[in-house]
Amino acid sequence: MIHRYKNNGYNIVLDVNSGSVHVVDELVYRILPFVEDLMKEGRKDAGAVKEAVLDRIHSAWAGEEPVNAADEEISEAVEEILELEAEGLLFAPDIYENYVYDFKKRRTVVKALCLHIAHDCNLACKYCFAEEGEYHGRRALMSFEVGKKALDFLVANSGNRVNLEVDFFGGEPLMNWDVVKRLVEYGRSLEPAYNKKFRFTLTTNGVLLNEEILEFANKEMSNLVLSIDGRKQIHDRMRPFRGGQGSYDLIVPKFQRAAESREQLNYYVRGTFTRNNLDFSEDVLHLADLGFKQISVEPVVAPPEADYSIREEDLPKLKEEYDKLAAEMLRRKREGNGFQFFHFMIDLEGGPCVAKRLSGCGSGTEYLAVTPWGDLYPCHQFVGNEKFLMGNVEEGILREDIRDQFKCCNVYAKEKCRDCFARFYCSGGCAANAYNFHGDVNATYDVGCELERKRVECAIMLKAAEM
Amino acid sequence: MKHIKTLVTRNLKESMKKGGCGECQTSCQSACKTSCTVGNQRCEKAK
Repeated sequence: MIHRYKNNGYNIVLDVNSGSVHVVDELVYRILPFVEDLMKEGRKDAGAVKEAVLDRIHSAWAGEEPVNAADEEISEAVEEILELEAEGLLFAPDIYENYVYDFKKRRTVVKALCLHIAHDCNLACKYCFAEEGEYHGRRALMSFEVGKKALDFLVANSGNRVNLEVDFFGGEPLMNWDVVKRLVEYGRSLEPAYNKKFRFTLTTNGVLLNEEILEFANKEMSNLVLSIDGRKQIHDRMRPFRGGQGSYDLIVPKFQRAAESREQLNYYVRGTFTRNNLDFSEDVLHLADLGFKQISVEPVVAPPEADYSIREEDLPKLKEEYDKLAAEMLRRKREGNGFQFFHFMIDLEGGPCVAKRLSGCGSGTEYLAVTPWGDLYPCHQFVGNEKFLMGNVEEGILREDIRDQFKCCNVYAKEKCRDCFARFYCSGGCAANAYNFHGDVNATYDVGCELERKRVECAIMLKAAEM
Repeated sequence: MKHIKTLVTRNLKESMKKGGCGECQTSCQSACKTSCTVGNQRCEKAK
């Protein structure tokens, strides 16, 4: 399976199953589908393929704008295509399905926890999945004892995995900062005895961020996620205080200080775009103009009835925005003023193995969310949905059926992923989105998929431009 | 090659041989929390 597309002046060919990426001239771009058809027919002899391509091309081009190429040149292009095919870099078969199912059948371990350290917040963000910080009326802070049991549970269930990840999430984790600090200290105390390495992440809205917190975070947190949506009017509209006033002016200087203190590495300013700012590339560029070098701005996930939710009719505009952003990023990079955009980051050389790429995000198996009172859910998006309550940090996993349901989540379990060129980059998408839109963790969220495909195209184009 | 330039990429088929150690970052622990993004996760063995 190949995916051909044009972006920003480049003709790009992704060979889906080998992961190879080729930048081709117009001639190859045009004849590749013919050659692919011939391959599917089992015709691999170079001479026969050349002849057939010449035959088909002359007739097929009748209705299209012709490519000016002599037969000799076409033959040469076919030879190059066949050479790559022989090397396994074009038209590679999909040989992974059984491998992935075997991989997923393995005994699972838990290696990552999202600790809901505070079900309380000092902001009232409109799109908050915790109902503007109200948490269905059940506000709570995680006690040190519950957090300690969560870390013990993680270590006990992590098998021989060395790297363990813990995200201090909320609500707003800084509203329970003392417990965060004590849990980091406790986690570190477990490392030598159990041969583990904790990687802590702190996600914060910045309201309570100060020098003392930053100093501790810079020493202990592998990653900082700083929530900001972009332009002041956009941010303040969706991320106000409970009294309605905006939070932008308070947090921007704190986030700038945090980014500089981490030497512009190992953090993200992380925003959400909604139907209110379909021109979100302006928000990304605004964040870049504020000096941030690690930026992530993502589409909101909201029920269709919400007035700010992304709809199918918004897709053309959003795709245009991604293209615009990619082109501008390239321009800035060439001027020596580049920045990273999380969704355009792609590691073609050192990226993950195929098992990781096809087996899903790990929610419900290796990644779990823990509520302030110690309940376990498949991930932070499922917290509060009692159907997905899996157990607790005291007794462990009590609902193995839920775990087994998530264990089956992979791209081959999702019909629409089978024909999708992006399946090696999104791993089948977000199970929570699929459930929220279709009531099935093994479904796909079509709007999300369309956007993911566009992002992958842009990300690969940016790599092609580096050649 | 005259018509095709190939980017250096990790061979996915080869990655079956020694892959699946599970030490790499869980995708939602990076920045996303709503989108599943694995293409940019770095292989721990490639570090």
